[in-house]
Amino acid sequence: MSTAVASPAPAPSAVSTRRVALIGNPNTGKTTLFNALSGARAKTSNFPGTTTAVRTGRAEATNGRRAFEVLDLPGVYDLDLDLPESRIAATVLDGSRGTTPDAVVAIVDACNLPRNLVLVGQLLTRGVRVALALNMADLAQKRGIAIDVTGLAAALGVPVVPIVARTGQGLPALRQVVDELPEARLPSPGTPPPPPGADMTAWADAVATAVTKETAPAGRHDRRTERVDAFLTHPVYGLLAFALTMGALFWVLFALATVPMDLIEATFAQLGTLVERVLPPGPVRDLVSQGIVGGIAGTVVFLPQICLLFFLITLLEDTGYLARAAFVMDRWLSRFGLPGHAFVPLLTSHACALPGIMSTRLIPDQRDRLATILVAPFMSCSARLPVYVLLTTLLFADRPAAAGLAFAGCYLLGALAALFTAKIFGSTILKGRARPMILELPSYKMPSLRNALLTARDQALAFLSTAGTVIVAICIVMWWLSAYPKVDPPPQAVELRAAAEAPGVDPARAETLAAEAAGLEARASQAGSFAGRIGHFVAPVFEPLGFDWQLTVGVLTSFLAREVFVSTMSVLAAGQPETDVTDGVVASMRAMTRDDGRPVFAPATAASALVFFVLAMQCLPTLTVTRRETGTVKYAALQLGYMSTLAWVAAFLLHQGLRAAGVA
Amino acid sequence: MPPLTPPVAALPSRAAVPLTTVPVGATATLHEVRDAASRPVLKSLGLTDACVLRLCKVGDPCIVLVRSTRIGISRDVAQTLYVVTHADDAR
Repeated sequence: MSTAVASPAPAPSAVSTRRVALIGNPNTGKTTLFNALSGARAKTSNFPGTTTAVRTGRAEATNGRRAFEVLDLPGVYDLDLDLPESRIAATVLDGSRGTTPDAVVAIVDACNLPRNLVLVGQLLTRGVRVALALNMADLAQKRGIAIDVTGLAAALGVPVVPIVARTGQGLPALRQVVDELPEARLPSPGTPPPPPGADMTAWADAVATAVTKETAPAGRHDRRTERVDAFLTHPVYGLLAFALTMGALFWVLFALATVPMDLIEATFAQLGTLVERVLPPGPVRDLVSQGIVGGIAGTVVFLPQICLLFFLITLLEDTGYLARAAFVMDRWLSRFGLPGHAFVPLLTSHACALPGIMSTRLIPDQRDRLATILVAPFMSCSARLPVYVLLTTLLFADRPAAAGLAFAGCYLLGALAALFTAKIFGSTILKGRARPMILELPSYKMPSLRNALLTARDQALAFLSTAGTVIVAICIVMWWLSAYPKVDPPPQAVELRAAAEAPGVDPARAETLAAEAAGLEARASQAGSFAGRIGHFVAPVFEPLGFDWQLTVGVLTSFLAREVFVSTMSVLAAGQPETDVTDGVVASMRAMTRDDGRPVFAPATAASALVFFVLAMQCLPTLTVTRRETGTVKYAALQLGYMSTLAWVAAFLLHQGLRAAGVA
Repeated sequence: MPPLTPPVAALPSRAAVPLTTVPVGATATLHEVRDAASRPVLKSLGLTDACVLRLCKVGDPCIVLVRSTRIGISRDVAQTLYVVTHADDAR
């Protein structure tokens, strides 16, 4: 295939920037073309006034004289459909938001010309200056589809450039065409599209038939695809394939993300120590070392999982498998009022609910999207892991198998709570069923590593800019609440310090006494802080669950981020803020006592605390993202109220039930 | 005497049947979409009035091939799609 370009006028010599919009059906390689054109210089942002993401990037013309601002519009089949993506694309093209592009590149799948031309016809009737990028020209050739490029350009009256976006083939020619397009004198279309409202499909069929010649039967390829589809969408084998794929994905996720996460934690711990050494003692040092460094560490530590998850999901999506998996899950999820599309957000929420909720943007129906957003935080995210490890270890000290089962049970309980909540919401506030799925099943192909890497990078940046700032701010506030007001050290600690500093004391003994004094001081400081006082004040609310004031402080501090529970409880138990659940931490917590001398973590209490943490909305950043994605505070308030109430009631029933059964 | 194989568009004699009852491998012409809510999405994917489709898989989902696009359609929607099978393909 060769490039067919309408005769252009000479390009102006001045250096300038032009706005180029990229449009096309889903699964036509639009993202690959965008990445190939603008590479690592892309940024993702919400389209103004919407929750739909639009990517913009910069590219250069082949002559180097001109830069393009490339706008990656959402994938659309039809500009007139009542879908957010269609509305946004139409708005950009009509220039109603002051975003009129100088040129539009319509990317078209060469293997699927008739359907893709419908959108091209709609662009032509709108009078848009458009160039056609005929993608996957190599695949079309392999399948015996020969397209008369010159004939197509003449029929449409626009430049047509065959490309292979994956390999970069044809991109220099496309850049040149785009550079010249705004001034080009375009011929009238040989086969003009019908006016709006008329049958565009018949026109697209006619144009495609006139310029396409199938030189070889595509039977073998189709039969292979059909066999794979039959297997992957089969009620039993499809589910098995899904379970294996997801099992492998999670294994890779948890096995590989641990190393960078540990590295990040260690680096920030060293940074905190360094700050403490450099700055003089005082509130500023505490704010920087504990509040700011701690806050940034608490955010950045999630990045490896988020990057890896999006990298793997993009690879899977590129292969064409995700569309098949969506149908497998639709069979199960639709019974609970959730669409098959919901499985990617729910899966992502196992790493972190924030990107999970952000990825609900791919769900076309607004009701389905809301239902998914509302239940996504029930999925056990990685921030719950240290809490699960701590409480299951406390519950089943010498029975690792039982602890493992309880751990798996937490994941199951979260997922079941999500499904039944979706069912309840589906018959109350979000009445109606999930829209039955209708989805294009893209061709199977090799995934693009470059695409996956760029998507992971985009998602990481989006996470840092949207959630990161909130988490850091929250951590600073939380640190302040836990550190102030400063209280005098308890008399016992003063005595211990005096004993440690007395002349003639053995140095090892002095160190032990000083450590004991430090522990008592930290405990007194925690109890006397604003957080501790609030814990005492709120304790009666959690008393029916078996929690004392110390556990209540743990619940309150971890409302902002669940993993804070472990460090708060370790401060209360031993005076040292530990984030890892080590044997020492478990032993000191097991030894924790209430004011009346009974253990804090009695079995019934540890069990009710575990259930509480599985179900409760203990994450303020998630609430902020819910508010932003739904456009109203109403759903964030509903999420908080519903999840907290459910967690309280379930923990209460379990605690009372265990007590009635004779468990202390 | 009427022609033995009249054009599909003028086929009142062959009854339109739900897509879910058509055998795999059969070619058919789309006659009617009874689920109005799904009509726009189906249309945008190429399932337009009187388009010719080939049934690749029955069950949930039904998979059809339309103008070289493979489309998965959940059974709930597929049974509201009424098609007229082509005589030479019906088995």
